[in-house]
Amino acid sequence: MEKSAGKSAKFRLMGKKKRKDLLFAVILLLPTFYILFKTFLFPIYQSLVWSMYKYHMLDGSDVVFVGFSNFTALFKNHDFWTATYFTGYFTVISTVAELVLGLFSALLLNQMFRGRVFFRMIIIIPWAMLTLVNGLLWKWIFQPGNGSFTIILKKIHVLSASENPLWLADAHNIINSVVVADVWKMTPFMTLLLLAGLQAIPSTLYEAAMMDGAGFWKKLWYVTIPQLFPILMIAVVLRTIAAFRVYDILTVFTGDPTTSISYLTFNKAFRYFYLGEASAMAWVSTAIILVFIVLYIRMLKKNSHEV
Amino acid sequence: MKKGKVLFLLILIFSLLVGCNAAPPTSGKKNEAKSEKLSWNNKKDLKGEEITLLWVNTDGANGPRGKILKEFTKDTGIKVKELAVDYNSLYNKITTAVLSNSADIDLAEMDTIWAGQFMEGGIAYDLADTVPKEVQKKYTQSSLSSVMYKDQLAAVPFFSSTKHFYWNKELLAKAGYNSPPKTWDEFREMSKKLTKNGVYGSAWSWKQAEGLNCDFVSLVYGFGGKFFDEKGAPVFNKGGGLKALQYMVDLTQKDKTVDPASLQWSEDDVKNAFSTGKIAMMTNWEGMYPDLNDPSKSKVVDKTDVGLMPGNGDVKSAAVTGSEGISLMKDSKHKQAALEFLKWMSTKKFQLPLFKNDGMYPTTEGLYDDPDLKAADKTKTVDKVMKQFEYGQNRPNAPGYVEWADILSAEIHEALLGKKSAKVALDTAAKKIKKAIEESK
Repeated sequence: MEKSAGKSAKFRLMGKKKRKDLLFAVILLLPTFYILFKTFLFPIYQSLVWSMYKYHMLDGSDVVFVGFSNFTALFKNHDFWTATYFTGYFTVISTVAELVLGLFSALLLNQMFRGRVFFRMIIIIPWAMLTLVNGLLWKWIFQPGNGSFTIILKKIHVLSASENPLWLADAHNIINSVVVADVWKMTPFMTLLLLAGLQAIPSTLYEAAMMDGAGFWKKLWYVTIPQLFPILMIAVVLRTIAAFRVYDILTVFTGDPTTSISYLTFNKAFRYFYLGEASAMAWVSTAIILVFIVLYIRMLKKNSHEV
Repeated sequence: MKKGKVLFLLILIFSLLVGCNAAPPTSGKKNEAKSEKLSWNNKKDLKGEEITLLWVNTDGANGPRGKILKEFTKDTGIKVKELAVDYNSLYNKITTAVLSNSADIDLAEMDTIWAGQFMEGGIAYDLADTVPKEVQKKYTQSSLSSVMYKDQLAAVPFFSSTKHFYWNKELLAKAGYNSPPKTWDEFREMSKKLTKNGVYGSAWSWKQAEGLNCDFVSLVYGFGGKFFDEKGAPVFNKGGGLKALQYMVDLTQKDKTVDPASLQWSEDDVKNAFSTGKIAMMTNWEGMYPDLNDPSKSKVVDKTDVGLMPGNGDVKSAAVTGSEGISLMKDSKHKQAALEFLKWMSTKKFQLPLFKNDGMYPTTEGLYDDPDLKAADKTKTVDKVMKQFEYGQNRPNAPGYVEWADILSAEIHEALLGKKSAKVALDTAAKKIKKAIEESK
């Protein structure tokens, strides 16, 4: 009570000009708020409401309120768990691989050598490519028989001459193939982020470490990684979220929707138009991502306090 | 103070959200728009109107499909804005436009299996009363039946299509055959002899997608089985259906006469493989022919032929249909002008050039005896392709089919990979589809 009285008093005391400015600011904000509300907030809310309905948009059946049964059905759904497993597998393996490769290529590009600018430039190419184009490219590489992936593996004797695996037929193989294609495309992203972080590390720290007799690995472990940690965390968070939503490259590789949650959700929503179930699925996968993000942010906060 | 502001904002947003009605429309169907009178034989002047057409065109504005649109504008004065996509993006493009209540699209290409969703979901305008009965009779039976859903007309037939049997004459001759197989048993025996020196007896579009279902349907009927019964229940797990999948599994797992890459190929990949001369036989749609005889794209120029799909026992031949139509969107603001296009599409001015340059087969009965068409048929394939149309088998076009098809292709693919037996795979698919039918009631 007291607070609001104080507030209105303050508002009155603001003076005409200030009040006008505030009003003007609110008016300027309104269109943005309206657009955000209509295109962002409302759909999120709407999908929450829809997740409690049986809403089959295109088969002419009745819309029925079903409470939480879309969610309970989802947890019993075998396809959903398969998709969750594959999505998790893809996210972990690809993020770790990109992180390790990205770190080493960033370290490499941080060295002084001839042609450094050239290499820094060309490394962006895979990342700049459209995901679908990347998918088509790798689809050709992954052709059995005469595809270059098979031929190269045979040349370096990973595969024997009689072997001819189908890279894009079985779900496990598909996921591994997608990991390879994704690592190729997204490692540059990691590299760029980490390179920026590396350049912010003062060289005096390395000099001091060298005085103490630290070699390459020790410098990496005791100087680079701790200094780079906040950036590493951000890179990992960004990649995890993006990797968890993997979808477009899979549509090029396979028609099997159980290879990713997004693929499954998309099929439910925009192929069968079971909008209630699709909304429920979207909310569950969002919740999973949120858990990850909260964990990361906590780690990041803890770390920044320590430093 | 700060917390109070945040709380205030949250309450404001929340009350705004609750204030808006977010629940889905309860009637199930969209509110019927007042339908204006449309007339097939329009007298009104429509010059200068612009319609938007969404269809498959991967050859650009100067390809055969792009050119025909210019012809239409020249002829009628109606401008056409073309939204060109590839087949796999078509369905998503249409459905996202529908979800956003967009009236931007006037006409959209429709695959036969979408008819149920188009009508039940209120996407397409029912043309049954607009296209006069005597005009409807002029279309070939197969092309008309593929755009009908119950007694509604979901689209005007765009082209006629089934799968066909293609073979490489040279490879067959080398193995001592001068004619293609008449039955699937013969096919199997021939495949065994043909598979050697890097050549495979056959290649198929058995990627986990609709192409896989299409070949399965051809084989189900080829082995005397049935896909769905009259009541719309799945029966492909019995008799001919089971034999068909067992046959597919035997070809891939036991005989190994199928190019193993088939399990990750779609129709275009099969066509490309066939045109390198390493595949002896394939099944595929029409439209192979300008390309297979084009030296810049093919190594098998004049070495191939097309004919009836093999049968078995009493069945002479059977092939899945893949005819398509063009639908008039229910929300279109230019219905009359769009209808004009559909009418023009059914004439020789449209059908003949697309047959010539795009390998697309006409939808009107009369055109097949047309001397101009016969003259345009340089590879002499019209009669062979036409004959297959008599043995066409439709897939169901109920609204749930898109989901059932995904269930089925997943199970068949498992069986082909050797993870499940043919019987278990088909029984599981039938069970899941029955459940899906039950749930959508």
